[in-house]
Amino acid sequence: MTSVWDRLERLFDALLGLSASERILLSLAAVVAAIVVGMGIILAAGSMAACSSPKLVVFGVQFCYDPIEVYTVLIGGAFGNSYNVAATLQRTTLLLCTGLSFAIAYKGGLFNIGAQGQFVLGSLATTVVVLALAPLAPTGVAGGALLVSAGVLAGCVVGGLYGLLPGFLKVQYDTNEVITTLLLNFIATAVAFVLVDRYFNDETVQGTATESIPDVATLDPRVFPQGSEFSLPVFVLALVVVGLFFYLLTRTTIGYDIQSVGTQPKAAAFGGVSERFTTLFSMTLAGVIAGLGGAIFILMVLGRWQSGAPSVGFDGIAVSILAGNNPIGLIPAGLLFGALDSGSQAIEFQLDVPGELIGVLQGLIILFVATPELFRMLGSHLDRRGTVDLRNEGADR
Amino acid sequence: MSVLGRTTLKWGLLVVAAIGALFVGQFLAPAGSVTAQVFDALLTTSYASAVLRVSVPIGFAALGGIFAEKSGVINIGIEGFLVLSALSSVVAFHGLAEAGVGTTAALWTAFLAGILVSVAAAAVFAVFVIRYEADQVIAGLAIWLISLGVAPFVSLVLFESVNSPSVETFGTWRIPLLADIPGIGPVLFDASPMVYLLLVATPVSWYVLRHTRLGRRIRASGENPRALDTAGVSVSRTRYVGVLLSGVLCGIGGAGFTLGQLGRFVGAGQTSIDGRGFLGIVAYLFGNYNPITSLGGALLFASFDSLQLRLQQISELDVPSALFGVLPFIVVIVVLTLIGGTRLPAALGQHYDDEE
Repeated sequence: MTSVWDRLERLFDALLGLSASERILLSLAAVVAAIVVGMGIILAAGSMAACSSPKLVVFGVQFCYDPIEVYTVLIGGAFGNSYNVAATLQRTTLLLCTGLSFAIAYKGGLFNIGAQGQFVLGSLATTVVVLALAPLAPTGVAGGALLVSAGVLAGCVVGGLYGLLPGFLKVQYDTNEVITTLLLNFIATAVAFVLVDRYFNDETVQGTATESIPDVATLDPRVFPQGSEFSLPVFVLALVVVGLFFYLLTRTTIGYDIQSVGTQPKAAAFGGVSERFTTLFSMTLAGVIAGLGGAIFILMVLGRWQSGAPSVGFDGIAVSILAGNNPIGLIPAGLLFGALDSGSQAIEFQLDVPGELIGVLQGLIILFVATPELFRMLGSHLDRRGTVDLRNEGADR
Repeated sequence: MSVLGRTTLKWGLLVVAAIGALFVGQFLAPAGSVTAQVFDALLTTSYASAVLRVSVPIGFAALGGIFAEKSGVINIGIEGFLVLSALSSVVAFHGLAEAGVGTTAALWTAFLAGILVSVAAAAVFAVFVIRYEADQVIAGLAIWLISLGVAPFVSLVLFESVNSPSVETFGTWRIPLLADIPGIGPVLFDASPMVYLLLVATPVSWYVLRHTRLGRRIRASGENPRALDTAGVSVSRTRYVGVLLSGVLCGIGGAGFTLGQLGRFVGAGQTSIDGRGFLGIVAYLFGNYNPITSLGGALLFASFDSLQLRLQQISELDVPSALFGVLPFIVVIVVLTLIGGTRLPAALGQHYDDEE
């Protein structure tokens, strides 16, 4: 009997390349493992916290947080009403950009830890360009279109240049890109802060922030209610970008070159692929797409640059790793992390459980995803004992 | 002369030249000018003391990184170990102080607790990357991200704020007579016990790696694990030792920074560790995996970190403090660019299955 699983597996493999189904299984297992370990952490933290009415009492030990309740509220906070869904999809849109940024570099054998910095500088460039052009632009839809496209272009260009920098240092001076991209994040945050503080600060608001961009340049909510700061067409656009990257990587020469440099650098060099060029190209592209995320963040979400950008750059690394660095896999992975992010606020407000917990959960997911061997060993162990028969169900009968 | 000897000589000469340039510059700069003020701020014993103090977390992180990487395990998680030990030392000190333990005893016990937590985290990391063959870079990143979440989370649960309340610090230990030597006395012999610890741990690490059986095994495990295996030594066990030692040293770095200098844990943003673990990684790349030269790297970054604090106090220099804050990072990138590729241990990042 060919099981549904087998057919699904063949479908996935045809769609995503060999062993994609194994990756999906591993990612699911990693998420489940992280949730289970997360429960332990919630219980442990709950036994340390002080509260007047404990949620659980087991053998005289008081637990202030109930893990089931935390996860229930988390899911409700992510999908409970249309505002929550909008918040989840909004975060997903940004994570798709930064996730792609990591994925494209990773495919070329590089670690781009710098999406955060590219995102921050890209968002600043978008804001500055839109604010500068606003007085010159015609009114109405034409002006809006002009400002939005100029803003997006500025974000992509600046993000791309900031991605090119560590790529250039890598090919020219053999500088380790893990370290440079990481440190460039700290530098980008400080530089953007200083630029705004010195030259673009809006004195009428507290803290360091630019003026708001004009309404014609903002991407208004579509389909979802007003005030949700999420526009469905932008999400669709992000999905199209994901599709384009999938096409680029699997169906074009440059995509093939990038992948061959990433997996078989010696063979690629022998085959005449320029490692220098693919490194520069994939790092620049990584920066462009992270900068696009920054542009979307300004045009759709915030409407101005202000200090304290969300950590979508770092979360994007997690999303990409969870997705096995496959563009298509980014969609479910981005959705999961988007949901975790928007749900974290609900557990903080409704349950008084620190939202930082979500960061731990995300880190655990990466740790488990990085460790496929753990689940393979676990799987074969259970297999031998005959308790679970996961993949050979069809074949054995 | 060996490559290493030449590198050491090159950097040594550079440092001597830099210090010489400082003295000459101070002599030449017009009195009262901004340049003179900068030189005055730098040529003080308090600046030299600050550099040593600031180099503690960076230096220990570098030593920790060396042991892990020499054994063949990439350890990007160093920053995370520092964060965890920084927080747990503060938590332990609070618990002990509330239980009525005297300050000195509480400080040292809390210091040990910080190290223990770091070692425990290193053990988890080791099991994942050695036993279960996790991708080392990604697992290290995960350790960092988990620590960035866990530490503020625990602080919020215990102290109701991501920033801990203040705790006592070790203060300085004045060594009689030696501390009275003009110039170097107040710098080297009236310092935090953590500074002494770093100045002792660095040559000891060098000796262990260079001249002991354990050191030879660790190096072999990173360079040629098959040979080590053939000689009948377990590669996995050697790597566990390397990563655990990394945990011990990073624990000293994190707890030593918190209890020796800062006196609290800050959980906002990148936490109070704020990239010091990453500076440690660059310090050993800079020092080419040699503990002694890596200490030089740590001192270099510490000197820029202390420099930016001092430059902020010169009012004529109208440069925003946030920009000064990233000065060490910019220096790191420039230095990394100048020194180019470091020769990494040959088997770094590769899994190895012992043939049992």
